[in-house]
Amino acid sequence: MSGSVAELHQRAELLAANLPPLLIRADRVAATVSQGVHGRRRVGQGETFWQYRRYEAGDPIQKIDWRRSAKSDPVYIRENEWEAAQSVWLWSDGSPSMRYASNRRLPEKVDHADLLMLATASLLVRAGEHVAPLGWGITPTAGRTALLLLAQALEDRAITANDNHPGSLPRFEPLPRHGSIVMFGDFLEPLEDIHKAIGRYVDRGITGHMLQILDPAERELPFGGRTRFEGMENEGTALIGRVEGIREQYRDRLGRHRDGLEAIARTAGWTFATHYTNQPVETALLGLFVALTAPRGTQETY
Amino acid sequence: MVSIGALSFVAPWALLGLLALPALWWLLRIIPPAPRRVRFPAIRLIMRLVNPEESSAKTPLWLALLRFALVAAVIIAASHPVLNATDRVEGDGPLILAIDDGWSSARNWEDRRDTMTALIDQAAREGRAAGLITTARQSGGGQVSVSLLPAAEAKERALALQPKPWPVDRTAAIALVDAVQSSGDAQVVWLSNGLHMGNADAFAEALGKLGTLSVLADLPGDLPTVMLPPKADSQGLGLTIRRAATSAPDNLVVRARDEDGRVLARREVSYGAGETETELRLDFPVEIRNRLDQLEIEGENHAGAVVLMDERWRRRPVGLVSASERRNDQPLLDDAFYLDRALDPFTEVRNGAVADLLKRELSLIVLADPGRLAEADRQSLIRWMENGGVVVRFAGPRLAGERDPLLPVRLRKGDRKLGGALSWTRPARMAAFPETSPFHGIGIPNDVVVRRQVLAQPSVDLPDKTWARLADGTPLVTAEKQENGWLVFVHTTADPKWSTLALSGLFVEMMQQLVQLGRGIAADGEDRMLAPLRSVNGFGRIIAPLPGAQAIPATDILSAEPGPANPPGFYGDETSRRALNLSPVLPVPAPMGGLGAGIEPQPYQESRETDIRPIVLTLALLLALADIIASMALRGLFTFNRAAAAAAVLLAAVIVPPVNAPAQAQTLADGESPFDAALRVRLAYVPTGDGTIDDTVLAGLRGLSLVANSRTAAELAEPMAIDPASDELAFFPLIYWPVTENSETIPPEVAARVNTYLKRGGTILFDTRDEGGANFVGQRLQVMGRHLDIPPLTQVPPNHVLTRSYYLLRDFPGRWTGGRVWVERDGSRANDGVSSVIVGSHDWAGAWAVDQTRRPLYPVVPGGERQREMSYRFGINMLMYALTGNYKADQVHLPAILERLGQ
Repeated sequence: MSGSVAELHQRAELLAANLPPLLIRADRVAATVSQGVHGRRRVGQGETFWQYRRYEAGDPIQKIDWRRSAKSDPVYIRENEWEAAQSVWLWSDGSPSMRYASNRRLPEKVDHADLLMLATASLLVRAGEHVAPLGWGITPTAGRTALLLLAQALEDRAITANDNHPGSLPRFEPLPRHGSIVMFGDFLEPLEDIHKAIGRYVDRGITGHMLQILDPAERELPFGGRTRFEGMENEGTALIGRVEGIREQYRDRLGRHRDGLEAIARTAGWTFATHYTNQPVETALLGLFVALTAPRGTQETY
Repeated sequence: MVSIGALSFVAPWALLGLLALPALWWLLRIIPPAPRRVRFPAIRLIMRLVNPEESSAKTPLWLALLRFALVAAVIIAASHPVLNATDRVEGDGPLILAIDDGWSSARNWEDRRDTMTALIDQAAREGRAAGLITTARQSGGGQVSVSLLPAAEAKERALALQPKPWPVDRTAAIALVDAVQSSGDAQVVWLSNGLHMGNADAFAEALGKLGTLSVLADLPGDLPTVMLPPKADSQGLGLTIRRAATSAPDNLVVRARDEDGRVLARREVSYGAGETETELRLDFPVEIRNRLDQLEIEGENHAGAVVLMDERWRRRPVGLVSASERRNDQPLLDDAFYLDRALDPFTEVRNGAVADLLKRELSLIVLADPGRLAEADRQSLIRWMENGGVVVRFAGPRLAGERDPLLPVRLRKGDRKLGGALSWTRPARMAAFPETSPFHGIGIPNDVVVRRQVLAQPSVDLPDKTWARLADGTPLVTAEKQENGWLVFVHTTADPKWSTLALSGLFVEMMQQLVQLGRGIAADGEDRMLAPLRSVNGFGRIIAPLPGAQAIPATDILSAEPGPANPPGFYGDETSRRALNLSPVLPVPAPMGGLGAGIEPQPYQESRETDIRPIVLTLALLLALADIIASMALRGLFTFNRAAAAAAVLLAAVIVPPVNAPAQAQTLADGESPFDAALRVRLAYVPTGDGTIDDTVLAGLRGLSLVANSRTAAELAEPMAIDPASDELAFFPLIYWPVTENSETIPPEVAARVNTYLKRGGTILFDTRDEGGANFVGQRLQVMGRHLDIPPLTQVPPNHVLTRSYYLLRDFPGRWTGGRVWVERDGSRANDGVSSVIVGSHDWAGAWAVDQTRRPLYPVVPGGERQREMSYRFGINMLMYALTGNYKADQVHLPAILERLGQ
């Protein structure tokens, strides 16, 4: 970033112009899913009162609730509910292949990915969790600041992406154990690459969720006739004489790719789901929310 | 030239190109079309797929057929196909056209010209030279010479030819043809008029010397019909119409027109079986007859079927000479008054002295007892009568006392009185008119009595001169023929002094008969030149004088022969014009028949040559366009939707002229008519053309309507976009008019409508939406509203009605706040002091805007739901202000009123 004040001001203006609608929309999507803040239903660190308990030997004297104890003979100590916050790192694929919409009426994949990411973040923030963008070396924080940081990361992603690293997969960042990762992207890279990228996190015991976002055209291959397909990330071209002829094969192959992704997720103990851009984001978010709150497991298409 | 049936090809060798089509077919079928290009993220999954079928690699059959047709069309166009090509000229000498371009050719001129151009076109195709001979003399006098010209030039000359309104002069043409030096190999075509005219054979022979002659002639049934000028008699007009052959149509319609070309009458006439001549009587009332200017045969359209009418066929005005000036104070005592009334219905009456009257043409001069005539007047009257004039004299006190030679009979001195206080006799009635009288047949009413008369000296010829008698046999009207004219004498007065004749209908009828006698003769036969006034052209239309038309001496007009120097038409000036007609000099039309020496006239061609190359080329162009669109669609340059839209746009651009209707339709929501705007109260806004802003404004007004409906008694329907240029504004209490940096100046005519709206109590909220005036959109507003009639504005004062018309407000926040809101200065008393314009910059619509679930669309700045609530309150206040006017204005004065009440 250049330190010029004028430029910073300009960027701030841009951010202010763009962010409110995106954040608001994300908030609104999240509001339909949120169930409110709740604790862990366990005794632990926290601020909310949980229970009074008989004093037992070894308890710190400071924990005795003298007012309660004065009402009766036993001595009570006061226990609060455990409200430990979890740290979640979020990542959204901003590579050129995400900038695809097969139809003018459909949004680009990256739109849904960003929206879902911010909405998830909004949900998590409401639940009191700490969130941070993955790959930026930022410590997870709570509150709306975290959302703004995420939004800024989305902004900066476009600036830092280059040909050497289009950003199809997240850069590795050493995360503390027991963190969580939520990844939004199309995951169309070779399975080995994905496996490798995820494996490094899995090795550190990090759980995660992968939401594959695809355009309906990528499921159906609704083209016909003689067609030259061109990759969006310089993968090369493919000339197909008659697209109708390969449609079945393509679907088969896509199915196998998804099976492979699912297998990767399963073995890592992650969840995997697919969302299509012609479906409402709320459904996907709800599914993701369930997956985030449930202990483990994989989901099918939301 | 190669012909297949009616179709001929000028350049048939080009058709050889069609042989190459199968090769093209094969080529098209083996070369695959360019693939469409698709950017696709999941390319890795496609890359190594094996395609089991590659059939689409060939050009699709329909596209191949399209291109096949395209190339075929181009090749066929190159071969220059012609439908119904004429091929009359054979051999290879130059082409010489002899053209009869006299009056009779006008009837079929289209065919003649088509034939001419077809022949010359053929000569052009075959590289022949062409020459023209016309048989009628040109306007300048000469005939077109026979110099050979390149065909293109000859065609220009041929197209410039027009039929002449005079006959052909073949004798002169023969001399012209004889003078031509010819090798005798020319192809001569005579486009004749089909009339023999005495020398068709000789002309054909002369033409035959130039080379091979072929003759074209009209069928006898198509030959022109000639209408001769009518003969006028006292009853009407008698027309003679002649046709050349009995095969011509039996029924004709003759049209009579007046000077302005209006049709006065249409009369049908038919020939008897086997007759070539027919008569038509035209019995028009005098009024109509005097307006006749032209007679024509419908559908003939040539100079021989048009007759121009001048004074000779008209009833001319009557001159009235009376003793004294007209007595306007006591008209009933004036004999001229009774004559006026009697003559007025059917002719024009002119008053004046004899000398003045005779300067113009008259049919009749009435002398109503003028007393003694001056000698010069009497001489000129006598001369005029001898030329055909009619003088009608009435007796009277002044005549009775003198002897006047200008009378048909000799009178006894004094007068005779019948009836009266000292007489035994009764006033005499009239006897029936004698058979020699022009009055014969007119019924005599009983109430006509003559009390006084002058008496004629009995003489041998008195009974012959007598046209009317009293019951006792004394003459009442006597007349004497004077060379060509008449001198008529009525033995009583023209007023009721001596008889009741002047009061009766009989008097009118008698005067009418006398007027019929007159023939309108100019008194002086002075020899003046008549300049051409109007001419009849070859097609029988009356136009400005033809070039080359010359003046004719007045004495020669009756004997002049129409020709280039004197085309038929009107001569003289507007007041006294003379007609020169063509038809009297025409011989009886006769078809020319065979011309001997084996030359048989051929009829003019029926069908016309049509060059179909432009059609084929257009077809090829359309096919090429279709091919471009199809190729682009196949390459995926547009999706089919877009291709269809592009085609539709293309078609619309070609076919549909730009109309305003779609733009107008846009401003009304689906299924809404302008009446809906009137039936419910609703807010309106003027779209800016920027979709985002317009959507916001619509959503904002919708939000305000919802809030107002739930909180106030106002029931607002769905807001509406309006176009102030076309929609009626009167239905809307409040118009929200967003202003952007790009707002155009309101054109004056639209501004006029807006001004009317404002003047009649409408309210407009101009919102510059620029965060309290930060972005200078306000200046844009000044430019935009240049033509609007906006009174001086002031910032909203603290006690303005807007601050208390529903809610009590201190400021008026919208999406922004802090700017100023302007209203009309309080002093303006128009509209009851209600400001017609509210101007601000807070983007209220942005604050009001809600989505379908009634959630706000935009945050307010600096923020807070209170600001949004305040913006709604402002909206409601403004709405109430617009709906109820200054209803709440007295609340402003409430403190003062309360104070006064308290006293």
